[in-house]
Amino acid sequence: MNDLCVDIGCKSINHHGEQLCGDHIDVVEQNENSTVIVLADGLGSGVKASILSTLTAKIISTMMAAGLPVDECVSTIAATLPVCSVRGVAYSTFTIIHIIDNETAEIIQYDNPQVIILRDGANYDYPRTEMNIDGKKIYKSEIRLQENDIFIAMSDGCPHAGIGLSYNFGWKREDIISYMEVMAMNGLTAKNLSTMLIDECNRLYGGEPGDDASACIVKIRKREPMNILFGPPANRDDDKRMMSLFFSKEGKHIVCGGATSSVVSKYLGKPVQPSLSYEKSDIPPMAKIEGVDLVTEGVITINKVVEYAKDYLSENELYEEWYLRHNGAALICKLLFEEATDINFFVGRAINPAHQNPNLPINFNIKMNLVEELSKCLREMGKRVKVSYF
Amino acid sequence: MKITVCVGSSCHIKGSQQVVEGLQRLIAEHKVENKVELVGAFCMDQCQKGVCVTVDSDFYSVTPETVGSFFETEVMTKF
Repeated sequence: MNDLCVDIGCKSINHHGEQLCGDHIDVVEQNENSTVIVLADGLGSGVKASILSTLTAKIISTMMAAGLPVDECVSTIAATLPVCSVRGVAYSTFTIIHIIDNETAEIIQYDNPQVIILRDGANYDYPRTEMNIDGKKIYKSEIRLQENDIFIAMSDGCPHAGIGLSYNFGWKREDIISYMEVMAMNGLTAKNLSTMLIDECNRLYGGEPGDDASACIVKIRKREPMNILFGPPANRDDDKRMMSLFFSKEGKHIVCGGATSSVVSKYLGKPVQPSLSYEKSDIPPMAKIEGVDLVTEGVITINKVVEYAKDYLSENELYEEWYLRHNGAALICKLLFEEATDINFFVGRAINPAHQNPNLPINFNIKMNLVEELSKCLREMGKRVKVSYF
Repeated sequence: MKITVCVGSSCHIKGSQQVVEGLQRLIAEHKVENKVELVGAFCMDQCQKGVCVTVDSDFYSVTPETVGSFFETEVMTKF
């Protein structure tokens, strides 16, 4: 066992005018340290392509996760996929990235653009073995994982971006590599890397993609614990117990809430030093306490974090709002979405009587809901989340 | 003189951002930057009375609407 883990992020855009994407990405966790990722691109676009790619991705990911060999998966697909009435073939290309024990990546590729691997920020050429399964040429590679390895799987909509518009022959592989090498320097998450790649494709297509385009990024990183304290304990006598548990945890410490900060300040014997800087946002200012990595206001800030988390998991249109800003919510997003892999929530159930006014959007139930929603989103991002109530 | 404005959740919702900006503007207009220190507080345990403001050790409840008159009567009179 090692202390590596995977950060997986995907984004797709649809063929202009289509409501469905003809590419499908499926991620199945085989166990705690092994994952199967499949990117399938169905023939054509629209509903037919969507059915082909969804079936392909689902069948392969389920069978691989169950431990079946790749040739069985391929022959099952060949026997299952419906035959296109126009073209007379059943066809969906696929890329499989199988992460085994967070130590090895098995890459199996059939007719999609070749997976790009960035190692230490630069393109890494890896050996591929050709296999012949049911007359299909399939390439297989095995890569020993290293920290900061970045795997980039794409559908052919990416290299085809810009054909006849920006470029004569589309976005060439070398150019995608240099673009991603620059992006990878900024420490972006897998989700943001895939967003950068697909947004650039969309731009090259002039906002009207001529094909479905998808990217799935797998980033290998070290586990990073993070602890977040939200609200004072329901029983004042638990202050010390909650604080000592919180501060004994490895990793960074985030404190959210005014009253919560007071409890922390008392426990650490260090003053709360609030700032008055609003950083051009409607998020309340932050504060500083010696010994705490980040101190913010509570419920309004967390509410914004939940909003960003939901967007991050869907369209990811607001990332510039938190990626480039310096307010409480933005900094929590950076720590939780980007840095952390294991998050411990310490949630206090104290009820602030002033918050129970029905005119205020910050009552106790809202606070508890925020914790639930945020931990759900973080789990969806692939983080391990533990919530303890006091 | 030290003016402290609470920027906690309740006070934020009741408009502490506007109170802070109002005070910053009034302090600049009256050119009393050297005499007044404006700082934030995270919670003054008086959430019902927000926006909580203290001038040295005296407590006041201020709203974005009353920030002008508060400044005239409680701040400018004390120089």
